[in-house]
Amino acid sequence: MTGGGSVLGVLAKRAGELAILLFAITTLLFFLLRLGGDPAAVLAGEEADPDQVALISARYGLDQPLWWQYLRYLVSIVTLDFGESLRGGQAALTLVLDRLGSTLLLAFLALAITAALSIPIGAWLGFRPDRGDRRAANALVFILQGIPGYIVGLLLIQLFVVELRWLTSIGNQGVSSWILPSLTLASFLVPKMVRVLAANVAEAMREDYIRTARATGASDVELLFRHALPNALLGATALIGTQFAFLMSGSLITEWIFAWPGFGALLVASVEQLDFPVVQAAVFVIAGLVFLVNAGTDILFRVIDPRVRAGATR
Amino acid sequence: MTPTLSTPLPAPAIDPARTVLDIQGLRVGFPRPDGTVVTILDGIDLTVHKGEIVGLVGESGSGKSMLAMAAIGLIPPPGTVLAGHIRIASQDLPKLTERELRHVRGRSVGMVFQDPMTGLNPVRTIGSILTESVRRHQGVDRAAAMAVAEAALKSVGIPAARERLTTYPHQLSGGLRQRVMIALALINQPEVIIADEPTTALDATIQAQILDLLRDTLHRAGGVLITHDLGVAAEICDRLAVIYHGRIVETGPTADILARPHHPYTQGLLDAVPRFDRRGQRLVPIPGMPPSPLADRTPCSFRTRCPAQSAACDRAPPLAPWGGDGERLVACHHPFNAQGAAA
Amino acid sequence: MSLADTRSPPPALLPRLRLWTRAASGNLLLTLGLVIVAGLTVGTLAVLLDPPEGAFRGSLIARFREPFGDYLFGTDQLGRSLLDRVAAGMPWSLGIALVATAIAVSVGTVMGLAAAWFPGWPRKVIQQLVDTVIAFPSLVIAVTVIALLGRGFWPLAVVLGLATWPIAARVVYAEALSVIKRDYVLAAKLSGVDGAVILWTHVLPALRPTLLTMFAFTFADMLIAESALSFLGLGVPLTAPSWGNMLSESREYLVNAPHMMLVPAGAIVLAVVALNLIGDGIALRSRKRARDAG
Repeated sequence: MTGGGSVLGVLAKRAGELAILLFAITTLLFFLLRLGGDPAAVLAGEEADPDQVALISARYGLDQPLWWQYLRYLVSIVTLDFGESLRGGQAALTLVLDRLGSTLLLAFLALAITAALSIPIGAWLGFRPDRGDRRAANALVFILQGIPGYIVGLLLIQLFVVELRWLTSIGNQGVSSWILPSLTLASFLVPKMVRVLAANVAEAMREDYIRTARATGASDVELLFRHALPNALLGATALIGTQFAFLMSGSLITEWIFAWPGFGALLVASVEQLDFPVVQAAVFVIAGLVFLVNAGTDILFRVIDPRVRAGATR
Repeated sequence: MTPTLSTPLPAPAIDPARTVLDIQGLRVGFPRPDGTVVTILDGIDLTVHKGEIVGLVGESGSGKSMLAMAAIGLIPPPGTVLAGHIRIASQDLPKLTERELRHVRGRSVGMVFQDPMTGLNPVRTIGSILTESVRRHQGVDRAAAMAVAEAALKSVGIPAARERLTTYPHQLSGGLRQRVMIALALINQPEVIIADEPTTALDATIQAQILDLLRDTLHRAGGVLITHDLGVAAEICDRLAVIYHGRIVETGPTADILARPHHPYTQGLLDAVPRFDRRGQRLVPIPGMPPSPLADRTPCSFRTRCPAQSAACDRAPPLAPWGGDGERLVACHHPFNAQGAAA
Repeated sequence: MSLADTRSPPPALLPRLRLWTRAASGNLLLTLGLVIVAGLTVGTLAVLLDPPEGAFRGSLIARFREPFGDYLFGTDQLGRSLLDRVAAGMPWSLGIALVATAIAVSVGTVMGLAAAWFPGWPRKVIQQLVDTVIAFPSLVIAVTVIALLGRGFWPLAVVLGLATWPIAARVVYAEALSVIKRDYVLAAKLSGVDGAVILWTHVLPALRPTLLTMFAFTFADMLIAESALSFLGLGVPLTAPSWGNMLSESREYLVNAPHMMLVPAGAIVLAVVALNLIGDGIALRSRKRARDAG
């Protein structure tokens, strides 16, 4: 549902979306937290005594009227002040941003693996989808698509850590410890991307322009790489946005399984410990990332698709 | 004449000594799952001489597009050539390997397809589409190929040819795109150009311009124009071949066939076309339906729709000379004569 | 010698039979999926009527038993039968996924139809909402809300449903828009039939295959999402034997008892593949029907 318009227009539209999204999330968080009972009791934790609860209540202004609290809350959010972690006492935002690099590293590795696997496999499957070997491979991809990423992670650990003892599964201890988490995260995306690319390539191969190219003497390799695949990849770029959201969901689980020091694992831990300032900061950082990726995709789309590009300059 | 072509070319003389496309006894079939074979093209003979345009006329499903694909070695699977020869540039296509066929396609045979809106790759520039074929077959560098491409665009009457090289297909009108398709077909100066319903997808006003362009272009090499439209064929073809259910039922010089059709099917086609000289008369449709390409072969496929059929039609009619000078061939036991009455 | 080229688009005439065989094989897989799902449904009802005792009461002398011995699927760290536990998990895992799917598909259908029917500001607002929510990682939303509302069947089902409806809305919107442009809908509109009646009697029936396909795929996604959350310890109550919880527990014992992981993993994969088969089968069948009609 992306419309036309200039690069600036795209950015403005996406920024508007981001603002709406953040407003909705923060408001939701604010009221849900109060819906569950006395937020000071929640914030102080289950073992806290009444004095501690009162202290928290005063410190966070929870003894003030609700509308005043909401206003102050919004102001602090706008100034990116999420407060301090209830566990360690550090600034929540700093805690999250410190882990940004690890999460991005994992996401980048997973995307690279996804591209390296799904482009050739998708092209191979879609090029002659009716052949027997492709049908068998299609069935295999279909089953793989039914295996959730966290099960893939557990199976990888079972094989490479428990049985073969080749790799470790805990934290970031250098390049060899990157392999299993990035494979696991990639497994969230690969079957879907393979199926999309195979379908796109198969569709492109049925197009009239393929027949035209064939009639000028193009070989199979040329047809695939110079005609069908560029069109198929162009179609797949529209998916980057939703797939990135899926990737972020996957990194929560992946980082948690492998104790990876990213903000996904931090978010899960903070939710378990009811450390709300950190949860909020993490949600904000993820929203920011989603915004950047979607805006980037829109702009990329305008640069690489001649149809959109021409439409935009006219 | 197209307004964009500056100098009208004189109609080149047909050179009967030089055959550019020679199809003999061609049979094409598709295997059924039960192991038998459906014959789609059944004993096609067709020759095209240098400088000549042959019109291949038939309804959809008659096998005319299959013949076009066969002539460029692109019969869709699992179809195969069962028998016969397709000779182009002293090579016999059914005997060639896929690799050898690729050197024929686009080099010795050019092809113009029906729909220019979908026939050009939307993410490639006109220049890159054209030069891909030039570089493949002529082995020249990019700059030289671009010059060839520009000349080709000029020769099909595209204004501002150099600028067009960097544009994308969707930026051009339908008529211009079909000119690009024609440029792509002729860019390596092939022996023969095959145009499959090249004007069907175009607006009526554009059709006339493209037909003028095709008349010039196809005459310079040798050409086959495939169409369901007798009017289009009459416009630019030197000879006609009428195809029905995978067989050629009648051939001869265009004017001669139109004036005195011999085969009842040709007569039926003509009766169904609006004509100025028969204004006020009712159009007569051919009774019944054309047979499915998958239908079993009978001695004469037109028999069930034919006004003149008899017991003699139990034998398959050979495509044999009939009438005067031997230029007219017809596959019918009861050919019509000059005024359309049964002989 | 053959001129055949194996890569050309087939002409209209020949692939009839190939289509037919493919449709038949599609139906075979569709049937397989339906049989598996029917089996799971019967199992779930049976478990609800008569909860398997072995799921909660183990015998400490029978801990970590391997599968295919006294216990078909073996036992866990407390000697509880994994067969019983995976059965007792069905109402949790399948139930939550079913409720979440029902919410997602029905809310999505209403919103999608509304966006298709009202071209003015409702369409703009809904589209904006859909675009925004789809771009945001749904698991993050779910995790955050669970943190506030607490674990349990209903919070999980509602949150998953509400995080997922925009995907359904987008599909319904696109499909409904094309149906609304058809002549018979226009005719009904012109003759003054009430909008709600048109949507109910003309548009919704035309969307049936789409909705069925979507329901199957969404169900599979919800099943994965539910077990993922439970796996993170943020889904159902920690004592409930949902498939995700079982997986979560199994992590501690991967070295000694890998079957503790493989049994719930197998259950999840079986259910998801069956649902995907159904979704694919219905989509294939409706595509084939459309082609035959057209």
